[in-house]
Amino acid sequence: WDDEEDDVDDVDDTDDLDPESEYAAWKLRELRRIKREREAIEGREKELEEIERRKGLTEEERKAEDDEYIAKQKEEKDGKGKMA
Amino acid sequence: MANHRADEKRFLDERGSGGPLAPNGLNPATIMEKPVRERIIDCYFWKDQCFALNEADIVDRVVVHVKFIGGTYGDAQRPSPFLCLAFKLLQLGPSDDILREYLDFGGEKFKYLRALACFYIRLTRQAKNVYNLLEPYLEDRRKLKRKTRMGTALTFIDQFVDDLLTKERVCATTLWKMPKREILEDLEVLEPRISPLGDIEDLLESDVEEMDGKGRDKSPGSEFGEV
Repeated sequence: WDDEEDDVDDVDDTDDLDPESEYAAWKLRELRRIKREREAIEGREKELEEIERRKGLTEEERKAEDDEYIAKQKEEKDGKGKMA
Repeated sequence: MANHRADEKRFLDERGSGGPLAPNGLNPATIMEKPVRERIIDCYFWKDQCFALNEADIVDRVVVHVKFIGGTYGDAQRPSPFLCLAFKLLQLGPSDDILREYLDFGGEKFKYLRALACFYIRLTRQAKNVYNLLEPYLEDRRKLKRKTRMGTALTFIDQFVDDLLTKERVCATTLWKMPKREILEDLEVLEPRISPLGDIEDLLESDVEEMDGKGRDKSPGSEFGEV
């Protein structure tokens, strides 16, 4: 605060130099926020759906699914150690 | 505030005892972290410019001295004037009416004053009020300068407000964990937010229409044979 630093990387915070592009940039940010919120909602719904689906399965089906998942995970893990 | 003193001694001594709490139930003396508090009361700006301020002086100080937002900056991690004044606000505990002046009338003229008020509201107000007071400024696209330990960056009021609403740490301060917007919507504490861009479905539709080169002469549903 006390010394007027001559920042090399100083940023200009003057507004309305180019209102149109500033508006466009804001619109983009706003749309990104909306998208982020929607994706969060979608993600949550997907998870709930998955939980419901798993609840609907029988014990054997669940087991089969888990085994498949574990096998796949293992495969990936084994694959990592080797040179291609 | 009745128990206000010119300096910070009494404010910091009353931590966890007699001092009044912020509207969200936190103790204003401990909202900022101890190392940050100590840096603030040690720094020259605090000693020289923040002694015996009242709520009106805050405006003066912001207008003259706050040229960027940020927590601590530079290699020395100096506290920014922005942060010092936020700490002063914690000490003063301004009422909602005063904050509204900072946000609206003052905020329209001085963007850093609005940013400061938003930051203070996020630290001390209840979740519902935080959302209601801050969200209108997601429309404010004015530029702000932000200093971090790494350097200077450009940000915007809407971006800063969004950070306050969604991030955990802003300006060297850990924000208290606020319930998410959708939880408050489910509890019917808040109405769903309407973006200043309008309903997103309409927006998508009008984009499509523009691309198709078709006008808006069709009424919704007319393509299904309904009139």
